[in-house]
Amino acid sequence: MQSEFFTNLRCRECGRLYPKEAVHVCEWDFGPLEAVYDYEAIRQQISRDRIESRPPTMWRYREFLPLDGEPTVGTQVGFTPLVRADRLAKALGVREAYVKNDTVNYPTLSFKDRVVAVSLSRAKEMGFTVVACASTGNLANSVAANAASVGLESYVLIPSDLEASKVLGSLVYGSRVIGIRGPYDKVNRLCSEIAGKYQWAFVNVNLRPYYAEGSKTMGFEIAEQLGWRLPSHTVIPMASGSLLTKIAKSYQELIVTNLVEKTPFAIHGAQATGCNPISEAFRKGTDLVQPVPKPQTIAKSLAIGTPADGYYAIQTMRKSGGAAEDASDAEILAGIQLLAETAGIFAETAGGVTVACARKLIASGKIPEDASVVLCITGHGLKTAEALSGVLASPRVIDPSLREFDRLVSSDLGQASLPETVAP
Amino acid sequence: MAREKQRLWLTFGEALCQRPIIWELSRSFDLAFNIRSAQVTQTTGIVAIELEGEREVLKRAIQWLEKTGVAVEPVELSTIEG
Repeated sequence: MQSEFFTNLRCRECGRLYPKEAVHVCEWDFGPLEAVYDYEAIRQQISRDRIESRPPTMWRYREFLPLDGEPTVGTQVGFTPLVRADRLAKALGVREAYVKNDTVNYPTLSFKDRVVAVSLSRAKEMGFTVVACASTGNLANSVAANAASVGLESYVLIPSDLEASKVLGSLVYGSRVIGIRGPYDKVNRLCSEIAGKYQWAFVNVNLRPYYAEGSKTMGFEIAEQLGWRLPSHTVIPMASGSLLTKIAKSYQELIVTNLVEKTPFAIHGAQATGCNPISEAFRKGTDLVQPVPKPQTIAKSLAIGTPADGYYAIQTMRKSGGAAEDASDAEILAGIQLLAETAGIFAETAGGVTVACARKLIASGKIPEDASVVLCITGHGLKTAEALSGVLASPRVIDPSLREFDRLVSSDLGQASLPETVAP
Repeated sequence: MAREKQRLWLTFGEALCQRPIIWELSRSFDLAFNIRSAQVTQTTGIVAIELEGEREVLKRAIQWLEKTGVAVEPVELSTIEG
């Protein structure tokens, strides 16, 4: 297969081109760099049939990913289910709802496996032997697991006061986990300095242009699983805002390469009220994203107070006819429960944010009630199970007595009759 | 002592928009500064700046900026993700 579809990196601000190296900001204006492709070459190479003939992983869209050769890390990642959720749709008050279910993404049960698969494959192409990230959860787990699977050494930097349960999910893979003392902003600045000083593949710093492109595969899959059409409304959780901008980019790329018909698609963003710099700026009608110095939300995977792609996320929502919303902790918990009870999917707190914000967007008419909507659910509920402690009812306990069980069931079922005979 | 460079985003609110922060910074600390991009309105200022100087001076300058009410972030913004 021709491999020269990925041509350059380019500054999103001034448009200057850069070679395909481990660089991430423009030397001129510090704008972020982004992968550029030869869409004409891709158009000639690719077709729906060709994609459908490939294995069901994120790599079936290989031409749209920033590698020179074939992937070597995370080759089984992606192609998670797109679930039609009629009972959820009814509860949300919308005609049709789908859940893009990355709670079952392989191997670490979050969408981060997509971005890590791309960045580590690229790191190997570039000859790096040590990979690193700074993370409080999902990204750390994914880097540790995917690095271990191919024998790359990994460093995971975390704030030193992170809960033990979250650290376990990285330590188990043999990653070198380093806790850093001090407030978040100082830890953040140190990580930037480490990334600059050590010649490591820091997945979301010097490899960010490659890393971020992995998110597009969620959008490609949604369109293919809908029968090669774009959803008219997509609701996406926002931390840095990168996932939202990349799903929009994936839809554009499918249009440009004639894989889908050009139809309107509104991109909506979801944040937690306790850390809502992007949705707040959107609401105010400004492009200037004010940092949130001390995020206060149970949706910790979205608690980025200085979102790197906040400006671009606002532009994307505005241009696509979408909107931004945010949800309180109580609404997030209700969102988790609603998704579980109506679709049988247990999402982490970020999933609760998406469901809660979708509900608000529908209630306010920003997503019309006769519309079809896709909800992007990005991580498994077992990762943030502690958020539900004290929220759910406890199991009812009975003695080992059939009569007692009968009594309990009849109180549940009200007037409904119990079976008269017991099967042998 | 070795000189080093740091690339930073400075963000500040309405209270500082009329104050010559960068001028004060350059008068108080022995640093070379180079503004790469800036957007300042009546309510918010966002400045991309490169500071060059001795490590200790850089450190003190950043402390002064923060004490003054300026949010100082590395050019990557949030390197720590969920």
